[in-house]
Amino acid sequence: MSHDGGMWLLAIGPAGAAGLYWGLYRYYRNTDKSHDFEHETAVEAKPITGSEKKVGEVKGTQETRIDGDNVAAYRKRVQRIQDNTS
Amino acid sequence: MPNTSPPIPPPTGPGSPQDVPPPAGSFPIDPSTLPPPIRDELQAPDPVAINTSAAELKDGLNRCPKCGSTEIKQKPGTDLLICLYCRNEWHGEGVEEAFGLGEGIDQLTGTVMASGARDIAADAASMMTFKCPGCGAEVTVNTANAMTARCHWCRHVFGVNEQVPNGAVPDAVLPFHIKKDDAVARIRQFVDKRQLFALKEFKEQFTPENVVAVYLPYMIVDGNVSADVAGHAEIETRRYESGSGDDKKTYYDADVYQVDRHVDFTVDDLPLESSAERGNLDTRTNTNNIINTILPFDTKNAVKWNASYLAGISSEKRDLDVEKLRPHLEDELLSIARAQVQKSVGRYDRGVRWEQEHLSVHGTRWVAMYLPVWLYSYHQPGPNGGMLHYIAVNGRTGKTMGSVPVQHWKLLAAALTVGTFLEVISLFFLRHSS
Repeated sequence: MSHDGGMWLLAIGPAGAAGLYWGLYRYYRNTDKSHDFEHETAVEAKPITGSEKKVGEVKGTQETRIDGDNVAAYRKRVQRIQDNTS
Repeated sequence: MPNTSPPIPPPTGPGSPQDVPPPAGSFPIDPSTLPPPIRDELQAPDPVAINTSAAELKDGLNRCPKCGSTEIKQKPGTDLLICLYCRNEWHGEGVEEAFGLGEGIDQLTGTVMASGARDIAADAASMMTFKCPGCGAEVTVNTANAMTARCHWCRHVFGVNEQVPNGAVPDAVLPFHIKKDDAVARIRQFVDKRQLFALKEFKEQFTPENVVAVYLPYMIVDGNVSADVAGHAEIETRRYESGSGDDKKTYYDADVYQVDRHVDFTVDDLPLESSAERGNLDTRTNTNNIINTILPFDTKNAVKWNASYLAGISSEKRDLDVEKLRPHLEDELLSIARAQVQKSVGRYDRGVRWEQEHLSVHGTRWVAMYLPVWLYSYHQPGPNGGMLHYIAVNGRTGKTMGSVPVQHWKLLAAALTVGTFLEVISLFFLRHSS
């Protein structure tokens, strides 16, 4: 085994301790829970419309997802465009 | 010859009538001289469109339709009211059917409010006093936490049925279905699974029989909206590995797209906490997220407001008006929109980064409602007043969620033990693989 791989293995202890602490704390305190209104509310949507246009290419990245991926983070607000009232 | 001299201009300057503010409700400029959008807004009808007040119960007495007794309670586990004198049973009228609240959501425009959702009058007091028609005594009800009281002389039961302008009387109430024994059993079961690391004092003082039935105030909102989102997304075109052995790394090529989506949708019965204290879901300062988690309720089965459903049950008063809740509603509608468009961007296998969003709220309909919750609370002493932990049971579905205070040293000891064990194993592997 290489030197790098060995160093990585040494992190298992602290990571396991922190993970267990956090997991049990969540199980008792449930601070991460809230009403899943996105899926539990009766919503009737018309067919979704939209467009897409290829604007570029990424070559040789090691990232497995797009930078800033928020497709499933519904509650993370992004720049809000207000109605033009003029 | 008539006097044709021009009229004297009204006096101006200090002390003149122009210094006096116009009477409340009047507008100093003739609306017909204003641009159409401003004129339309000024002349728009009162937004209160649905009157849900129960005029027949205005004197505070809800009488049995058969014998006239006021000794009326909800029959446990049902939506029925029962007369404790002659045992007559009857069903409260469904608020959805009575006022057509479930219909025409896609045609909603502007803000439609039921009368119980109107703004809270700033000078309204919490105390309501009734004059008992039986014996003339005065009976006071504190609408901050109760909706019924009994005449101490002739034992008539009074209910606050008139929609007082202090926000205490909503449009509808959803009666309890879960009985106390059931709620106690659910809370006990919830805590039994969380014994090992629970705070010692909490375990010693745990008495689920002290659970309290409480009606919490909510606004139930229907909405007709459109939303747009825009951002960038990627599709993987190539995946390859470079290097050898332990240095082998995976690289990706991808096409980048500019993506936008538009969705028109309606939401039916979205519940919003209309008490500022309960609506604060910041888990660093409170555990109100527990009460939020037991949502949703079957609000379609709510009945027209009748204080007899609240006999012997405490309640909390609403303190947020529609305009105060609007930013929270828009936030939730944007989240729903993002959830709706997610399935339309499935082909972007490297994900989407939404960068801009836009919401147009075409119309909303607001109904104030009391929802039934069983609450068990435990106050954990600590800095800044400590923390109030709740275990809540949905009074209709029985869904249970809670916050159990932890004994931190026990949790820390368990984590360190497991961490040490894992570390020993990893050292063992390291020694035997090198």
